[in-house]
Amino acid sequence: MDLELLLGIGRFLLATTLLLLLTVPTAFIIIQMEMKIIAQLALRYGPNRIGPRGIFQSTIHGFKVLAKEDTVPDQADRGTFTLAPWMVYMAAAMSMLVIPFAPGAIAADFSIGIVYFFAVLGLSVVGLLVAGWASYNKYSLLGGLRSAAQMVSYEIPLTLSIVGAVVLAGTLSFSELIAWQHEHGWLLLWQPVGVAIFYVASLAEVNRTPFDMVEADSELVAGPFTEYSGMRFGFFFFAEYVALFIMSGILISLFFGGWLAPWPFPAQLDGFWGTIYGAFWFFLKTYIFVAVAVWLRGTLPRVRVDQLMGMAWKVLLPLALVNLFITAIAVVVFEL
Amino acid sequence: MTKTDPEIRIPDPIELDRIEEERLRAVAGLAPTHAEGTEYAGFDTVGIPDRPPQTDRERDVYTLSEGEMLLNMGPQHPSTHGVMRLIVKVRGEVVVDIDPVLGYLHRGIEKLCENATYTTVLTYVDPMDYLSAMHNEHAPAIAFEKLYGIKAPPRAEYIRALVVELNRVFSHGLMMGFLALDMGGLTPILYSFINRDEVVDMLSAISGQRMLFNFFRVGGVNWDTSDEFLSRLGTWRANVMKNIEMNEAMITENEIFTARTKGMGVLTGDQAISLGVTGPNLRASGVPFDVRKAHPYSIYHELEFDVVTQSRGDSYSRYLQRIAEIKQSIHLIDQIVDRMPHGPVQAQVPGIIRPRPGRAYGAVESPRGLYSVYAISDGGPNPYRFRMRDPSFISLQAIPKLMPGHLVADTMAIMASFDPVMGGVDK
Repeated sequence: MDLELLLGIGRFLLATTLLLLLTVPTAFIIIQMEMKIIAQLALRYGPNRIGPRGIFQSTIHGFKVLAKEDTVPDQADRGTFTLAPWMVYMAAAMSMLVIPFAPGAIAADFSIGIVYFFAVLGLSVVGLLVAGWASYNKYSLLGGLRSAAQMVSYEIPLTLSIVGAVVLAGTLSFSELIAWQHEHGWLLLWQPVGVAIFYVASLAEVNRTPFDMVEADSELVAGPFTEYSGMRFGFFFFAEYVALFIMSGILISLFFGGWLAPWPFPAQLDGFWGTIYGAFWFFLKTYIFVAVAVWLRGTLPRVRVDQLMGMAWKVLLPLALVNLFITAIAVVVFEL
Repeated sequence: MTKTDPEIRIPDPIELDRIEEERLRAVAGLAPTHAEGTEYAGFDTVGIPDRPPQTDRERDVYTLSEGEMLLNMGPQHPSTHGVMRLIVKVRGEVVVDIDPVLGYLHRGIEKLCENATYTTVLTYVDPMDYLSAMHNEHAPAIAFEKLYGIKAPPRAEYIRALVVELNRVFSHGLMMGFLALDMGGLTPILYSFINRDEVVDMLSAISGQRMLFNFFRVGGVNWDTSDEFLSRLGTWRANVMKNIEMNEAMITENEIFTARTKGMGVLTGDQAISLGVTGPNLRASGVPFDVRKAHPYSIYHELEFDVVTQSRGDSYSRYLQRIAEIKQSIHLIDQIVDRMPHGPVQAQVPGIIRPRPGRAYGAVESPRGLYSVYAISDGGPNPYRFRMRDPSFISLQAIPKLMPGHLVADTMAIMASFDPVMGGVDK
């Protein structure tokens, strides 16, 4: 057998294993942030018993979920009910393949990485819909259908908002996009409207407050997750937080320079230390945006489902189209 | 060790219950509940009572047309304000009809009170509307004093008015938080509870308990003000407006909050009057009726305050009304503390009160509206009849009228704007 092929397979297996392993601490860190930051916003201490300053609270929660009984409702469709958490989780984990963590640290540097990313992340809606339908519960059903409506609607402005950036940079590969930003400055400066649309739409896409229609605990108990318990619920929970991490990572890769340092001396390094340097900036920026999402959750109430859809179709979509139109004209006129 | 005989089988209490229920159903001529092993009644029929409809209204609610679904909210649901159950008929996400099912918290308080002496009645009414326990005690105290023909000393009346207004402040403050919580805002409720805790600590300094105060007596109050109470009152008064404004800053001007409350659940003044809605919910619809002004009790005729009203009658007006009333209450507290006379806090009453036969009515303005007590004495040591009018129960009547046409998401938001307390509704 060809040695190169074997190496390729080995590299793929290593990368996927590492990424799957990475989802676990990512979810733990974000859950911990959520507990601690929201507690501080509400003038509480938050978790402070397990580990120094309670930093292992979310880890314990994770193990607790593992230890819980896993129930399936009598009338549920057992096969799809079991499959749904896996679908949601895999959609999140698979989209991690193209995230540019640092120079040389991309699991798969496709030339169409952006297209792949949005295609795969969109799959999670199938999992939520299946979960809502298979649970044999009316709250789940309403939540699942809401999630389908919401995520399909918001995918359109989400995708259109980055087409402007793609047109400017002339590439669909994340590493080339970051190289373009290294040369011309962050896309934030070129596409301010695109950033705003992308941020709002990405919150809706990952079901974060103020767009957490899908769970809506005061109306639908827990939406499609109502009937889930134990590790199946844990998978949904993990997938939600991993999706938040991924969305923040993609946001900074597209508009905030990805692994580039915010100053030019040097913006990036070569070799092993370059990877460390890049990863440092990537994770720092990503977690800043994760923290902003958590902050929003502690501050804002939830919008209603019709207002949510109205915003997607009446505000964000026209805005994204206008943004794309102006960008395209500017690219042609100024030959950028 | 004692040996158990394996032949003796201890009957399963659940099984006994089931057998008993089947027997009672057979006696009453009802169909038996589903037998062992049959299929679960299912998705389409959940919530439909397993008996023929008793009224036209019931038949309307539980007859489903094409595309409609019954959604059962409660009694175990994250946001039903206790144990309320709403059966919501939905078409997609739009509410077509709504049927509140009450009684999950019924404790038979009226009957308990009829078997208690006049003094101990005041301890039973506390857990009625558990967010305004002071008001719950105030109305029977007024009614029994009328029955017995005594008056509380002036200092007792001032202390009563003081604690009652303090109670109103924290109750309205909690409503702000619960309304935001039912729309998904997590933080305002915690700010509300911080504010509530200060008041509750203060009231526990004067009464000895944090929630069910048991503070009022026939002919007075239990304790005079203590140093701890007064020092806490001073600290609280210095910070209260700042704390409430901090909470308000998160809610009042919030775009999402206003979009979800303005124009939602509009209750006109005429509708409110014909449904018997009182209190802040009525005043938010523009009707300036306040028991404290209309039928002054205690010392309210000596105090100066405004009956604030709003004009629109929607959820947002009801929210603004609460904030305006908090400010009025604080204004009242300032006056009460300023004018409080010296003297005893308890009139001379015997251990067991035996009023002459007669009837008396005592009404107070509770944070949820007109809360009143009607007591009949037959000359014995306990009331012959003791009837309470709870404002949240009356407010709930308005909810099925307002919901149709709104979305499922709004049911909870509109209900929270009426601020019902299920302890009071179910008695």
